[in-house]
Amino acid sequence: MYDFDVIVIGAGPGGYPAAIRAAQLGKRTAIVEREAFGGTCLNWGCIPTKTLIASAERYRHAAHSEAFGVTTKGAAFDYAKMVARKCDIVAKLVGGIQSLLKSNGVEMVRGAARFEDAHRVSVVQPDGSARWLSASAIIIAAGSDSAMPGFLPQDKRVMDSRAFLDLTALPESLLILGGGVIGCEFACMAAMLGAKVTVVEMLEDIVMVLDRDVRRVLRRRMEALGVEVLTGAPLTGIAVKRGKVSGTFNGRKLSGDALLVAVGRKPNTAALDLARAGVNVDERGTIPVDAQGRTNVASIFAIGDLVTGSIQLAHAATQQGVAAAEAAAGLKSKAESICPACIFTSPEIGLVGLTEAKAQQQGRDVKVAAFPFAALGKAMAAGETDGFVKWVADPTTGQLLGAQAIGCHATELISEAAVAIRNELTIDEIGRAIHCHPTLSESWMEAAHVFHGACIHLPKR
Amino acid sequence: MAQAVIFPKLGQTMEEGAIVKWLKKEGGAVAKGDILFEIETDKANLEVESFFEGVLLKIYVREGVTVPVNTVVGYVGAAGEKVPDVAPKAEGAPAKPEPVTPSRVESPRVEPARVETRLPEASPAVPTIPNSSFLIPNSAVASRPVGKQQQPISPRAKALAKGACIDVSRVAGTGPGGRVVEKDVVAYLESSGYNALRVTPAAKRLAAEKGVDILTVRGSGDGGRIMVDDVERAAKRKPVPMSRMRQVIARRLVESKQMIPHFYVTVKADITDLMAFRAGLKAKGVSLSVNDFVLEAVVLSLEEFPVVNSATDGAAVAWRGDVDLGVAVSVESGLVVPVVRAAQTLTLRELGAQAKALAEKARAGKLLPDEMAGSSFTVSNMGMMDVDQFAAIINPGEAGILAVSSGRQVPAVVGGEVKVRTVMAMTLSADHRIVDGSTAARFVNAVRAKLENVELWKALV
Repeated sequence: MYDFDVIVIGAGPGGYPAAIRAAQLGKRTAIVEREAFGGTCLNWGCIPTKTLIASAERYRHAAHSEAFGVTTKGAAFDYAKMVARKCDIVAKLVGGIQSLLKSNGVEMVRGAARFEDAHRVSVVQPDGSARWLSASAIIIAAGSDSAMPGFLPQDKRVMDSRAFLDLTALPESLLILGGGVIGCEFACMAAMLGAKVTVVEMLEDIVMVLDRDVRRVLRRRMEALGVEVLTGAPLTGIAVKRGKVSGTFNGRKLSGDALLVAVGRKPNTAALDLARAGVNVDERGTIPVDAQGRTNVASIFAIGDLVTGSIQLAHAATQQGVAAAEAAAGLKSKAESICPACIFTSPEIGLVGLTEAKAQQQGRDVKVAAFPFAALGKAMAAGETDGFVKWVADPTTGQLLGAQAIGCHATELISEAAVAIRNELTIDEIGRAIHCHPTLSESWMEAAHVFHGACIHLPKR
Repeated sequence: MAQAVIFPKLGQTMEEGAIVKWLKKEGGAVAKGDILFEIETDKANLEVESFFEGVLLKIYVREGVTVPVNTVVGYVGAAGEKVPDVAPKAEGAPAKPEPVTPSRVESPRVEPARVETRLPEASPAVPTIPNSSFLIPNSAVASRPVGKQQQPISPRAKALAKGACIDVSRVAGTGPGGRVVEKDVVAYLESSGYNALRVTPAAKRLAAEKGVDILTVRGSGDGGRIMVDDVERAAKRKPVPMSRMRQVIARRLVESKQMIPHFYVTVKADITDLMAFRAGLKAKGVSLSVNDFVLEAVVLSLEEFPVVNSATDGAAVAWRGDVDLGVAVSVESGLVVPVVRAAQTLTLRELGAQAKALAEKARAGKLLPDEMAGSSFTVSNMGMMDVDQFAAIINPGEAGILAVSSGRQVPAVVGGEVKVRTVMAMTLSADHRIVDGSTAARFVNAVRAKLENVELWKALV
């Protein structure tokens, strides 16, 4: 007999929903968390960054509203207050998660867990004492940490995103290593607050998951914010001297008050002693699982960032966590295959499903239709005419396969596309569905009309 | 002057073939060495290069049409040059047809791709299999395309059935002479449960596109909703003709199993000493595989038992004279059987070297049809595939095939004591019409005795 039916290791956006779902299904459930409930998403990821970005945008609007007929004088900001506000919001949400877990009767255990065997974990608790827990099923949801390559100097000025969020003063000049999603989000936020930002990306462009047309808008807008974007070569010779971090890009010397490292994330699997449970780990340290999140050990599941091929998004982990909890409870649940992603740069970006580039790689024939915000009344009214939405659809059946949006509220807009794609609507249905005027979401319908060569609001070509 | 492109004869036994794919279009520029088209014979797919430069002026033979070798399939020449509208007869082809060389041979994609051999003098050429004779029982047919049925139908009924993606041949007609009228289709939709079906818009479009009867599709979506994947799965149930090569293989395997009374004799050879001997050779820089020893043991044994190296059609028996040894080689896409000619004239090292060279050629996809034809006995070694024992199907035209399995460490009795020995099972499939049980038993034991006799190998290496 085991102490619990289900143990969840890690209380991030994958782990705590898994625990709550297991409890909802009548399972005696425990959750083990070594640091902070809510995990990376809530404490050092999605939520704190969005809070700071909201502050940065508020400041930018305040400072630049002359065109709207609003004159403000002496708009200024206090970064320390912005960070304090962030901390308040995080604390509130962390408390909320703990009360959710409590109300569902989930036992919360603090400390670092490691496997003893396939059904047992030991937890080193904050007071140093060890506690053993056993369960018939265990869900691994331990997440990931920023990768900090070995060639980087060990110095407080060289930091990952988590350390950056705890700064109480914004560096005046900031180097960012890595032009992926995280690097670009921080670059936009810091640039909006007046920092001199330089992004260095080794690949040919930033945020390569996006199609070229979307990247082009992002890059142009980041440059308009004053961000210098350097791509196609590595940052070499990184060193810290006299309070400055410096490095070389293509023979050019770069320097800044701090270096933010955003070159990817590594799974938190090493400390779990997975071998003792017999769980297979691949060469990158991630855990291969089936569609229900089951590892090679039938009673052990893994979800979220530490899963092989995972897309490393909070909402993906949540869905996987719920599916794994249901599978652990003996239900036949299936992980969803359509997962939208949002990028909180300025402007925002949303994407879901197939991109044009991916379709090309797969040798799949697709037809693409886009509609620019510049042709939308609402976008003009809001002063946000830069951006567009685009559909990627099957040319024969019109099935919606993918969508991307860049511009104001793109991260909200993408959900309509996700629902449409997930439910296998064709571009005809989107074109026929009436959308409110004047809104930004009209652009989805307009793009569908473009697909059919029947767009009212674009000049005839 | 325009040069005729002829369908090449790539093997002595090759009489006809089909162009699977044209890689150049009419009017397209052709450089020396460009691949013009891909052909399919009953043994392999080959690419055919052009030896001339110019423009592909004319294509006479469309993809998928079987033609005799030496047929003029097109012309290459200077742009604008006049060529006949109709292909000249094969006899009338220019005296010096454009030379063609196969550049790459695709291997058969199937495991039992045994080479074709014939009784000397006796057997006729392989008859072609018309695609129309390809029959699959109706129960296996997922759907028949709407509109191909015999029964009379009104245009309105036809349109309704097509729009609904159902197979109208299942609808009972109540009109004059059994004519299907609109109300019959409506009644069918009601009685068949069609109206209760839930289908995503994209899935319905795809079903119409692929002619899939939506009533035969099982839904996997929410609440049994039929999704795109479900339609695609159903569409795959539709029979499609196999490649010509595969059809020939299928026919020959059936022919073999139906015509040749197979019987099977298994022995287990103790290869412990041979393995040690081989390891010793390797240390001296002589690399011979276990299979090389098996091949040599087979060749020597076939010389002792010529009846196993002969062939019968049931009326006459022919001794093959040479040991033309077929060696099954596993390649990425399946299995091919190149032939080592007159293997009895080769030393062990020569035999090993030739088998190795042919295997490498096979893996590179460079085997020519003639190199895969005319074997007199075949060895199929699945030792690398981790199998205990298996039996192979005799190539028509041969009297036997030896199936070699994996070496296994097992407890064995040696000199009255139990020892750990490496033992390898070998199963001879023999044609009982000419090979008696006792002959087969003596043959396999001869092979075994040779493999176990290290003194013999010391003399032969």
